[in-house]
Amino acid sequence: MTPPAPITGLVQRVTRQIRLRRAEHAGVRGAFWGAVGAALVLVFKGPLGAASIGSAVALVAVGVLAGLAWGLLRRVDARDAAHVADRAFALDDRVATVLEWAGRPDRSPLVDALVADTLARVEALAPRRIVRRVLPREARWLPVPVLTALALSLAPPVPMPTGGLPDFLPSRGEDEREERSASTLLEERTRALAKQPLKRAMLEERDFAQRAGAGGATSPGDLTAIFKDTSLSGHRPDFNSFLKKGDERLKLLEHVDRLPDLQSDFTSTSYKMVFRKSKALTSGLRPDQITPQKLKELLEEMERLGRKGGTWGGDAAEGMEALEGGQTDKALEAMQKALDKMRAMDAAQRSGKGLRGGRERDRGARGRDAGRGGGEGYDEQDFGDADGLLPGRGRSPMPKGEATARLRATPYDVGVEGESRQGRKDGYDTNLTGRAGSMGSRLQYLGVIGQYRKQMEDAITREQVPREYHDQIKDYFQALDER
Amino acid sequence: MSQEERAQAFVSAFRALQTEVEKVIVGHGEIIAHVLTGMFAGGHVLLEGVPGLGKTLLVKTLAEGLELSFSRIQFTPDLMPSDIVGTNIIVEDADGRKHFQFQHGPIFAHILLADEINRATPKTQSALLEGMQEGAVTVGGASRPLPAPFFVLATQNPIEMEGTYPLPEAQLDRFLFKLRVRYPAIEELNAIIDRTTRSRQVGIERVMSGPTVLGFRELVREVPIASHVRDFASTIVMATHPQWELAPDVTRRYVRYGASPRGAQALVLGAKVRALAEGRYNVSIEDIKALAAPALRHRLILNFEGEAEGVDTDILVGQVVESVEAASVERREPFLQ
Repeated sequence: MTPPAPITGLVQRVTRQIRLRRAEHAGVRGAFWGAVGAALVLVFKGPLGAASIGSAVALVAVGVLAGLAWGLLRRVDARDAAHVADRAFALDDRVATVLEWAGRPDRSPLVDALVADTLARVEALAPRRIVRRVLPREARWLPVPVLTALALSLAPPVPMPTGGLPDFLPSRGEDEREERSASTLLEERTRALAKQPLKRAMLEERDFAQRAGAGGATSPGDLTAIFKDTSLSGHRPDFNSFLKKGDERLKLLEHVDRLPDLQSDFTSTSYKMVFRKSKALTSGLRPDQITPQKLKELLEEMERLGRKGGTWGGDAAEGMEALEGGQTDKALEAMQKALDKMRAMDAAQRSGKGLRGGRERDRGARGRDAGRGGGEGYDEQDFGDADGLLPGRGRSPMPKGEATARLRATPYDVGVEGESRQGRKDGYDTNLTGRAGSMGSRLQYLGVIGQYRKQMEDAITREQVPREYHDQIKDYFQALDER
Repeated sequence: MSQEERAQAFVSAFRALQTEVEKVIVGHGEIIAHVLTGMFAGGHVLLEGVPGLGKTLLVKTLAEGLELSFSRIQFTPDLMPSDIVGTNIIVEDADGRKHFQFQHGPIFAHILLADEINRATPKTQSALLEGMQEGAVTVGGASRPLPAPFFVLATQNPIEMEGTYPLPEAQLDRFLFKLRVRYPAIEELNAIIDRTTRSRQVGIERVMSGPTVLGFRELVREVPIASHVRDFASTIVMATHPQWELAPDVTRRYVRYGASPRGAQALVLGAKVRALAEGRYNVSIEDIKALAAPALRHRLILNFEGEAEGVDTDILVGQVVESVEAASVERREPFLQ
């Protein structure tokens, strides 16, 4: 079954209207660009002569005709035309459905009812133009190239620029120049350029030593007096040597390992430097909000530092691999591991600067010996043998001394200071003092707060936290970020 | 009877049933139409609203208007699955021999009102799952078919969430539509007072039987849908997925999981019923737009941002529909718009 003639007739009428509007649209565009081309041709009216007028007219005509042809000949999909008809006549997609379903073998009996209903509605329609006219943007600017082309066609030919390159030759003297006429000058300039082609780039070493007898009297305004290197004064400025020197300096910059580590000097330790950068990178951001580029830069820097004598290079490399694989979480974990190792090395270096007591050194040595013999690692040596640290159970014959003094003697001294706070509820603010107060815990805080944030988000999205509490929870975590 | 006559019969029956329900229920014309749409599409409907808005009354009135069996289950925390589907009990016959006999639960009815469904435990809620999807329940290893047509109308209260068990996504997805019952306007409230505080009770006529409903369900599925209308529906469903490359910004920002294919089915089936109820033999874009919110609002799972900012899923679905429509207009040539 094919759609009834009135329905296909409606679609064909709409198709024709679409073609006409499309042709109008494309014709105006063609006229605009044709007029632009005509104006360009008329600019060269002088060299082209009378042919330019004909070419300009032809260009405009070709533009218009090409646009019209494109608009008229381009295929219009019947379904598109049906949609337009449905919308314009408020037929609720009836025509499009009939066109699609009338010929289908799997059509249901309701399709026949649909066809009959649509036919009745289409026959009742009064024919009218339903496709609106749409002018292109070029229509607004069409008068500009048209008027320009008209003006250029009426005006005298535009004079074309003539002449050669400006003279870069050094001056030969004021008197000589005054005596020459313009034609002579042009002739001589042409000849001079032909005889002395531009000097090619020379990479030989320059001798900056002054030549004997070259420091004679100079006249005012003479550029040669400015250069101390008088060997250059008689020649053109040698930019090639400047370029060569610049190249050498650039090559120097590529060897970053040989450059002085100014950043390290400034921040005292590489660990602090990297830690600050990582903190700036990760503070208050979820893994998906961290810029991979910055993370990559940081990992590269860590890897570079690792190559200089650290054990975290592998972790940094692992992080970079994870980052390349798009796994920001893993990259962050690897960065954290590397940071931990850096911190451990930093702490070890500091301990080595006289902070560790003699007994600890002994214990460390024991640990190292045991590590060589019995497989205990470096990490275990700080904790040592548990028996030795418990009062009354130590094996050491040396007296341990008074407890407070012992505590202060160790590098791991920890104290707590605080002050009471008055308010609606009395409180007590405490701070850790000693080395523990300034290391370690801050980094873990960032990690822990991230975990808490994730748990909070899961709790809110999955466990149906009452909506009244959402703002409060968000504000709380926002406040933590700000701190 | 020709197809046109059947379609006309559907229009008449739909309007008659709507009129009967509206004799009792004041206002909520759209809710009634959507409930009937859900019934004729062969789905189940979840009604959400604060207490006292007439949700239960609507369902009871609908059951009265149909020659169908009706049962009501008031969901409570101590309700057990066997209280819904039934259980095997030991009975003694005339000879004194004992044997098991299946005692049918309230689910064995044409229309089931699951009142305050979110007050029962998930175990009990899930007892409805098989019945809603398969039209049968399995008890003691034996599958027992439910009477056809089987239509579940569940209600839930969006406030007083303490002590409730929100329906899991899998069960929410089983409902064809989720309808939000709003508070009536003052004129409607006055009409409610007038109707319900008099001695004269309104009688409801039975306008449709079970086989008639089943016949109309078959008819609805024959309504043709043009490919561009079907594409519009599927694009809307896809646009609710934040992972989709063409998803609008609002989806990417607030949605964790989008609607399932059941959402697209619900959208198209509902649109077919709406078209037929309006006397049309084809589905239009307007049908899809009208049913986007009821069919999709319970199938979107908001992310943390959406939950924290209290994003309304109705507004979200509306924005998704608008963005899909705008994108389709942009793709067309200016002459074809």
